[in-house]
Amino acid sequence: MKRDPVVIIIVAMVVSLMLVLGINLSRHAPAEKAGSQSQGRPAPDFALQSLDGKTVHLSDFRGKAVLLNFWATWCEPCKIEMPWFVEFQKQYAPEGLQIVGVAMDDSAEKDIADFATKMGVNYPVLIGKEEVGTAYGGLPFLPTTFYIDRDGKVVDKVFGLKGRGEIEDLVKKIVNEGRVARK
Amino acid sequence: MPTYFTRTTVVLALLCSELLAQDSPGKKAPSVTMAPAAVATVVRGKATAVELQFRVASGFHINSNTPSEEYLIPTDLKLDPPTDIVVGKITYPPGEQVSFAFAPDEKLSVYSGDFTLSVSVRPLASVLPSKYEFRGTLKYQACDNTACYPPKRLPIEFEVKVVKSPKPPAKNPAQSPHAHN
Repeated sequence: MKRDPVVIIIVAMVVSLMLVLGINLSRHAPAEKAGSQSQGRPAPDFALQSLDGKTVHLSDFRGKAVLLNFWATWCEPCKIEMPWFVEFQKQYAPEGLQIVGVAMDDSAEKDIADFATKMGVNYPVLIGKEEVGTAYGGLPFLPTTFYIDRDGKVVDKVFGLKGRGEIEDLVKKIVNEGRVARK
Repeated sequence: MPTYFTRTTVVLALLCSELLAQDSPGKKAPSVTMAPAAVATVVRGKATAVELQFRVASGFHINSNTPSEEYLIPTDLKLDPPTDIVVGKITYPPGEQVSFAFAPDEKLSVYSGDFTLSVSVRPLASVLPSKYEFRGTLKYQACDNTACYPPKRLPIEFEVKVVKSPKPPAKNPAQSPHAHN
């Protein structure tokens, strides 16, 4: 039986493609799953101390769209996002956005406060605790940002540094979603 | 045609390997490992440099011992030497000055790939000749191009062999070839 070379090539291509897709999917499955597990679920509430000594609960912000950013002073990519967050806080606060930073540092509070002041941070910065990190999936690396709607549900979870545009799109998403629902 | 088929298969295989090599940042754990160190021989009463070799996993970097910003966590070796063996200066290599995509205008002082630390070790004259084990930790904090990982401590172990100082050559003018001029 004579084999058609074109058929052989097409079969080889399809098999290769399936192999690549299969391996990639299995590799990425745990992380994607971890992200999707929290989506649509209530964001775990917490009680953390702010840099000005107040106890702040996530539930204090119910009714607002919350960008919850876990960061640390030793995290250079986190530092890149901060000026964007400062801008978004100014721009979208009238529409109901509240940015909240949680510093997962071992550094002294004063060092965290100095850093936040140097970065011109205009939103609350809370001193993180390990159990809060655990409640949010363990936070194996920073920055990790949760986008939470006005009802306190996680809309999205982003690992690592993303582009300014991508972050702004997610901000608009949480701001607009709740607003439409409440009209 | 088999040649064409083989060529196509090779191209597809290369494409597959390229696709498989692409992994989202932050989905692989960073690691720093220490190469097994050969037992260094050190002479009692003398300072000897012992070299320790480390490797930062591909795709990651760690801050050097002298990071470019004060709030960054330096790579730091702490050793717990055996009694009567003094650890002197630890020499760190200068960091590579690297700009990353997340901060193209900023240069960070980092180690990536392989780097070597040199530890000055001096056994006191009272130390008995033998092998001695050093333990310690290398503290480091790793990042990739988009994310940073909490500081870690890598356990360190290496051995040194302490030997007596060699006897000075005996001076006997009578045996010197120049003594009978």
